[in-house]
Amino acid sequence: MSTIAETASRGQTRRRSVDGWQWAGRVFLLFMLLYTALPMIWMLITSIKSGFAATQFPPQWWPDEPTLASYQKLLDPQNSVGQDFLRFFWNSLFVSTVTTILSVIVAVPAAYAFSRFSFPGRNFLFFAVLLRNMFPAVIFLVPLFILMRAIGLVNTHGSLVLTYLTFGLPLAIWLLKGFYDNIPVQLEQAARIDGATRFQAFILIVMPLSTPGIIATAIYSFIGAWNEYIYAYTFLSKNDQLTLPVGIQRFFSENTTDFPGLMAASFMMSVPVVVLFLVLQRYFVRALTEGAVKH
Amino acid sequence: MAHVVLKDLVKTYGSFKAVNNVSLTVNDGEFVALVGPSGCGKTTTLNLVAGLTPITSGDIVIGERLVNDLDPKDRDIAMVFQNYALYPQKSVYKNLAFPLQMRKLPRDEIDRKVKEAARVLDMTHLLERKPRELSGGQQQRVALGRALVRDPAVFLMDEPLSNLDAKLRVQMRSEIKRFHQDLKATIIYVTHDQLEAVTMADKMAVMNGGYLQQYDSPAQVFAHPVNMFVASFIGSPAMSLIPLEASTANGNTVLTSAEGWILELSQLNARKVQRATTKKVVLGARHSTIKLHKSAAPGAIPAKAYTVEPTGDVTFVQAFLSGAIVNISVSPNIAVAPDEQIWLEFDQERTHLFDGETEMALKAD
Repeated sequence: MSTIAETASRGQTRRRSVDGWQWAGRVFLLFMLLYTALPMIWMLITSIKSGFAATQFPPQWWPDEPTLASYQKLLDPQNSVGQDFLRFFWNSLFVSTVTTILSVIVAVPAAYAFSRFSFPGRNFLFFAVLLRNMFPAVIFLVPLFILMRAIGLVNTHGSLVLTYLTFGLPLAIWLLKGFYDNIPVQLEQAARIDGATRFQAFILIVMPLSTPGIIATAIYSFIGAWNEYIYAYTFLSKNDQLTLPVGIQRFFSENTTDFPGLMAASFMMSVPVVVLFLVLQRYFVRALTEGAVKH
Repeated sequence: MAHVVLKDLVKTYGSFKAVNNVSLTVNDGEFVALVGPSGCGKTTTLNLVAGLTPITSGDIVIGERLVNDLDPKDRDIAMVFQNYALYPQKSVYKNLAFPLQMRKLPRDEIDRKVKEAARVLDMTHLLERKPRELSGGQQQRVALGRALVRDPAVFLMDEPLSNLDAKLRVQMRSEIKRFHQDLKATIIYVTHDQLEAVTMADKMAVMNGGYLQQYDSPAQVFAHPVNMFVASFIGSPAMSLIPLEASTANGNTVLTSAEGWILELSQLNARKVQRATTKKVVLGARHSTIKLHKSAAPGAIPAKAYTVEPTGDVTFVQAFLSGAIVNISVSPNIAVAPDEQIWLEFDQERTHLFDGETEMALKAD
């Protein structure tokens, strides 16, 4: 029996391996891999070059004298560059974390309400929430700046947190609503009959089940806030408040650009995002595909 | 345990009336089945009793308390859901313990009750498993356990067997019936399967279109359906309903068919027909009350066999009569072939007569 099954499956593999579509798929994937990975690799290689080697032509594919000097400089609190970098890093971390926490605090109940309750204007509100996503973010730059100036938030991290929430929340709510839609309402009903209040049913039964969705929402908000450039560039002008994407600009100057330093900073900036993603990616994938098929 | 009274219960969604003036009393320890086709309002009625859906008007009394505005948790009820609604992240033990924890029972008492319930339902060995690691029947049993662990006044069951396969369904049916007998529990049980209702319930409430059609013991509902809906819904195969017209022949009331044949009536049936609002009368007959003749017989009506379905014990023959499908059961040793000419004789004692206009059963007095 097993030999029959084995032969059958082996036969299938052989037949499938000559399939042209599969080869086309592989070539495409390989291309995409190079397309996404090569810039990252180049960033890493440049970050361990000396300033001269980085601008040499023809380029050195692998530096003759690899050095970690750029990293040391960035992480050294005694050095002015290091002080700035660490401050920017901290600023980014602060803004992103606050944005993430607020976004989860607002998105979870909002998504739950959209999913479970019917109230007047529910559909209108839900599409109003999504409407923001139909316009490019830049359109709102000037109006938001005027608004922030009017309420005295220019040059504060609060202006960024508010802005990022405006942009991040719609999708966060939308993502989470899909998640709650997939949790059978009978679970809450059972909990309420078993003696829980509506709120307890939400906290004790629904929340634990929606953890993957909440994590995905959190990652999404965090990355959005962490990478954002144009608003941070517009709203903040004081050096000690800049976030990383804006701060890294300072490696460009009129006459010279410290490419290894720039690349080292870029690399370190991508570390939190990559780590977050690696640790939590299974939740992320599950959240995005949840409900795609019936289990 | 407690009795449950529903009085003029109404639930509307916008202009749609899901439940229409339903009134019924479930006595202490009684097993009542709410039965009807999908969308008839039976699950809505159950949710109203549970407090999961707010009522539009009317009263619900559980025990001696008016529970109209009470939260589900304060109504002293337990519910078994169609999809079991087991908490997927909790083990069987924690699923069973949850209702007790919410009532803030001491830990050792919770432990004792959970183990007792597990023993009763024969699932002590499953306590550490997660719901997804259980078979359908085991999940069903856990759901039942979670309901009985805290000894509620009323059990509400919403199609608890419909997700099980046919064999398991029959087995769980007798388990739930046994459970009712042992606990003397008050149970309100929703099902679309009339067979479940007939086999398990002390009383059945047949619903259609949000209205309660008939509320009586299964035997009474079966023998005396109040209208054509109940007549056709209860019993399998369904009762045959043949549209005919009342007229007079030689001074006697008879029923005539558009096909040209005449059915003479017994005195009792003639009196019933005379009470119809119009000439339109529907003759109802269950498969076992129609006698099949292979040759012409006095009082028998000619028809043509359409399909023949042997089931082993009995053979079901279907024929068209006056435009309606008629089911007849015959002994398997009577050979009938499709398209064969047959003659059908109605047992006048056991036929039903309905007003063709109002669809209500006709009564002699």
